[in-house]
Parts: sequence; structure tokens; C-alpha cells
Amino acid sequence: MRALVVYCHPRPESYTAAVRDTVIARLDASGAETRLLDLYARDFKPCLDAAEHERYENTAANRQGITRDADSLQWCDTLIFVYPTWWYGMPAMLKGWLDRVLVPGVAFLMPDGEQSNIRPNLTHVRRLGVFTTCGASWWLTRLIGAPGRRTILRGVRLLCARRCRTAFAAHYLMDSSTSVSRARHLEAVAARTDRLIGASRSAQPVTT
Amino acid sequence: MIDRPSRIGRAMVLFAHPCPESFSAALHTRVVETLSARDCEVDDCDLNAEKFSPILTAAERRGYHDEETNTAAVAAYVDRLRAADALVMVFPVWNFGYPAILKGFFDRVFLPGVSFRLVGGRVTPNLTHIRRLVAVTTYGATRFRAVLAGDPPRRSVTRVLRHVCRPERTRYLALYDMNHASDAARGAFLDHVERKLEAL
Repeated sequence: MRALVVYCHPRPESYTAAVRDTVIARLDASGAETRLLDLYARDFKPCLDAAEHERYENTAANRQGITRDADSLQWCDTLIFVYPTWWYGMPAMLKGWLDRVLVPGVAFLMPDGEQSNIRPNLTHVRRLGVFTTCGASWWLTRLIGAPGRRTILRGVRLLCARRCRTAFAAHYLMDSSTSVSRARHLEAVAARTDRLIGASRSAQPVTT
Repeated sequence: MIDRPSRIGRAMVLFAHPCPESFSAALHTRVVETLSARDCEVDDCDLNAEKFSPILTAAERRGYHDEETNTAAVAAYVDRLRAADALVMVFPVWNFGYPAILKGFFDRVFLPGVSFRLVGGRVTPNLTHIRRLVAVTTYGATRFRAVLAGDPPRRSVTRVLRHVCRPERTRYLALYDMNHASDAARGAFLDHVERKLEAL
């Protein structure tokens, strides 16, 4: 198994960092090869600029500046996003990663003479996970329609394998969270990561 | 007489496409022209041209809830938002969401004390001076594909933003399936946007 974890939070001491560490610990325990992209630590530039827009559809040139990210995306079979939900969506930094890295030839294929529709090109991705935190409650998030969750678990999923498995876990009402609720949520993150990657809950490392 | 368009004093136009030759830019031009012709003062904010940084920094995150100081890094944008009684956004939908530069505007400028207040732990809308909320957008995806994905950008506008603005009117004007849109379809959409803004 080859897992790519895309992590996005500005504060190294944040709870989201603990969520990331929990996910990575479960991946390591299952014997998965793991790559981590820490967007803030890398000073990732989230704005798709005019020059990039110009070469967006040119598959011979559109990986310039994002080669490492595109390579990792094509390498992985498990794609996991860890981020805080802001305004019911992902941080601009992470949205910009999607904007700049999910280019034609990497994530999807543009319509051409034979095909009139956009076709998925991440069909090697068989597991897709989202682990996040929300200031809002579960019911308010649902009422709003959880646009951030949909952007990934439906939008990005359209580009992945047809039977791509998904996982989602969010700690809601973060502003009134307690050390107990946060610890309990980390257990849920571990369990859902295990379920996503098909690992057993035993302490034994699973060899693949 | 309720349906007659009332005067819009000042509209903040948020534009989020990097290319001046894009169809989004043509929509942006038409929006600004139509609003100006209505005798509306237009605050034209081209996020890319203004080199707006969408990145909420660690320092901003740490000071996020301190309403005394949290606007320091984006004070000019907060002032412009507070002066507006209409908010009109022109942007392309990318990956079923806002372009990062526009998402970052909400992350950094829609702060506690600006867009909402926490009163007894509950979020209270605080942009109620915005009486008109408009999104003018384009999708590469077909309407069908967008609905399959749950149309996140539409929800982000008609639910999230509407919740903090509580406007009298909200318009979500979208052209889907841009990769197949003919010149005629694009022209018709430009005219459609103009008519909707005239009647806003």
C-alpha cells in the first residue's frame, strides 16, 4: 500500500497535527509506505497564476512547479487529507493544492476528438480519506451541506477508482472540545484509518 | 412596489480569475458596467491584480478570536467589506470549489467580529448590511456532474454566505459545461447576468 497524506494547518502545535500523527501511526503499523505533504511547512503557493492557467491543458508543460506533488499523486493508491474546516470548506492553502496539482494529464483527461467528457485519471486511487475538525456542530454542518467534505469525497472521488473506498471523521464543535472529547476522537480517527486501509485492530503490524 | 429594484449604494465586486482574456474576465467587465450604469458605486476588487494573499498564517490563526486585534493584517479589506451593501462575486469553479484566492478571502477577512459574532456560544450573523448577495460563475462540469458532487460552491454561497449576510436577495448565476459552451451560449449568459443585475 502506498499512502499519500496531504496535511494542511498553519500551527505546528494544533490538534490537527495530532490527527495527522494518528493517521500516520496507523499507516505505519499496517506496513504501508507513506509520503507526507505538509503544505504550510513547504510554503506551498496556493494561487494558480496566469502563466499556469495558460499551460493548464498542455500536458507536456503543466507539471512545471508541481512535479513532486503530481508524482506523489500518481504514485499513491491511498489518498488522505487532514485539515481544519474553515467556512465549511478546506483552507485556501489546500484548495490551492487541488487547483494547481489536479491538472489535466495528472488527475483527469480533457475531452478530445474521441471523448466528449472529462475522464478520471486517478483510477489507481482506491482509498480516499478525509480527517478534519469543525467549529460548527454536526447538524449545522449537515444543514449547510458540508461543502468541503463534498468537494473531496464526491468531487475528487469522481476522478478516482470506480469502487474507491472512503473514510471521513470530524471532531465537531471544536471551540467547546475537551481533552476527553479530543482523545476520544483520535481513537475514532485510528479506527477509521484502519477500516479504510483494511487493517485489523490488533496491535500486530500487518504485513502486506 | 416591493419587487422594484431599490438603489444599491455601494457594491463590492470580488473577482477571482488570474487571466484578463478569460470568459470570467468578460463577466467581470459586464458586471462592473451594469452596476455602474445603475448609478451604483462599485468597489472593484480584483484579488489577483491586488496580489491578495489567501494564506491564513499561524500568527493570524493564533489571534483569530481576539476581536480587538484580529483584523490588523487585512484591515483595508474589512473596511471595504463593511462599506458595501451588495457583495458580488465573479469566479470560475475549480474542482467543485472556489479558487483558492477567493476561499482565502473568507478564511482571512470573514473574521469573528466582522462576519459573525459569538453570542453565548452561538454564531450571530454580522454582515447584515449586505442586502444583495450575488455569485456569477462558470463550471467545466455539466450541471448533472455538479449535482452528483452535491454542487459545493452553490452551497457555499446560498447557505454559508447567505447565513452571515441575511440579504434580501441572493442570486446564484452559473454557466455549466464551459468546455462545450458555444460563443452564442456565452453571449446569452453575459446578457442573462446583465438582466439579473439590472433587476437586482
